[in-house]
Amino acid sequence: MRDEHEPDHELELTSPLVPLFVITNGHALPPEHEYGHTTLVTAQEGASAAARTLSPEAREVMDLVADGFLSVAEVAGHTHLPLGIVRILLAQMEASGLIIVRKPVPRAERADRELLSAVLDGLKTRFGA
Amino acid sequence: MNRDALIWCLVASTAIAVAAVVVLFVRSRALGVKKRQSEAALTQQIYTTEGQLAVSRAELRKHKDEYDSTIREAEQAAEESTKAVLKGAARFLQSLAAEQTTLLDDIQRTYGGHPVLADLLDVNHANAQMARKAQGIAVMCGAPLGRRNKPASVYDVVRSAQGQIRNFHRVEIMQQGGLALKASAVAPVALAVAELLDNAASFSQHDAPIEVTFQRVQSNLCIVIDDAGVSMSDEDRQRATALLSGDITPQLSQLGNQPKFGFPVVGLIARQYGFKVDVTGVSRYGGVRAVVLLPEELWTMEETPPPAEEAPVSSIRRVEGRPQNGTRTMHGLPKRGARQSPIASVPDAEAPAPRPTSRLPEGGRASGRSLGAFQRGTLSGRNLDISSLEGSEDA
Repeated sequence: MRDEHEPDHELELTSPLVPLFVITNGHALPPEHEYGHTTLVTAQEGASAAARTLSPEAREVMDLVADGFLSVAEVAGHTHLPLGIVRILLAQMEASGLIIVRKPVPRAERADRELLSAVLDGLKTRFGA
Repeated sequence: MNRDALIWCLVASTAIAVAAVVVLFVRSRALGVKKRQSEAALTQQIYTTEGQLAVSRAELRKHKDEYDSTIREAEQAAEESTKAVLKGAARFLQSLAAEQTTLLDDIQRTYGGHPVLADLLDVNHANAQMARKAQGIAVMCGAPLGRRNKPASVYDVVRSAQGQIRNFHRVEIMQQGGLALKASAVAPVALAVAELLDNAASFSQHDAPIEVTFQRVQSNLCIVIDDAGVSMSDEDRQRATALLSGDITPQLSQLGNQPKFGFPVVGLIARQYGFKVDVTGVSRYGGVRAVVLLPEELWTMEETPPPAEEAPVSSIRRVEGRPQNGTRTMHGLPKRGARQSPIASVPDAEAPAPRPTSRLPEGGRASGRSLGAFQRGTLSGRNLDISSLEGSEDA
């Protein structure tokens, strides 16, 4: 594909002009359990005024969630940004009080079977069932 | 008797005296002639010698000129061959870096939901800096710059430049809408601004901000870069001006062991693409103010059309029947009422992107449509996240 002896033709740059790490301004990914696919986000009341100073991508997210709750996965789908990038943007926006986040109801944790059987054993030995 | 003798004596001495005078006179005349002759001979000799000297000098000069031109030619040839070698290498690096950027972008989108994304972003940042260096060396060697074939907003061009320097988070860019650079100007202006930002970052405190603002002055668009670093001395300023005007192009061999490509590269591309760069101003923080002055041929007032694959946001959010901030719970959370219409729908007609649209049948009833739209939205979001580690929440 590349040839060192190729004539002086101009190299065509096809990658996106603005790299993703600039869109997130170098911020780190939020912890894994935050901003999962089904976490719902919506704009804080009166946040649209503050949105004017945001980057175009963050502003797009603000526009999407302005009128009601939308899931993180949907925000990523509509903005065509990778999920991780959207999560970073949302974390920044929540930190600056622009959005409200509603976490999904956590799934009920399965009780530890070993622990329960150990307790049962203990009770049995104590009271002799 | 005595008297006669005396007279004779007198006569004799007079005669002797006269004879002596005559002899002395003759002798002095002879000496004079001889002296004149020898002077003439000497003068002649001096003339001859001077002539010879002039000839020798001319010859020496000729040899010196020949020698100088030979040295110059040799230097020129060495410069040319060094440039040719370096140009080849730089072009190779340039295309490799561009290829890698495209690859990395694809990978970032593939693994967008995976924690590895954080590392990929760092790798991409390092790669962007390498790409800038390769571009700079290529330009110094006379190779063409990479080209972009789409116009872009001036804000995005500066953000692209921002990504090419190490401490990019120090750069603060003023929002600017409605000003776009023509496609041919995107890559050169991005590289020039990147070099100026790098310069601003290198000559100021490692946490001091670098501000980028935009100004329209008559028919020109100015990109103004203010740093809070040390200002330049008059000598530095003069040298920078000469380099940035493209009047002086330092030879590669003069760049030293830690070559400073920045200003020479900016000067070369500014001249090549017809814009001006000035660094003689003082920023409002007392540092250097760099101004990139773009003539009207390079920019337009038009809004850049959004990339084709982007979903039209305006049609997504204007949905009737949605509760408009009105109904909120006591904690400030909006209430979700029974929905009559989709929360968001990707218009099937214009939106070219999400694959699921074709797979999903159009529901007949309103509730079915809204459910379908919701599903499409969720699926389009999920499609981007192939490597989901979390359990499936739709089960």
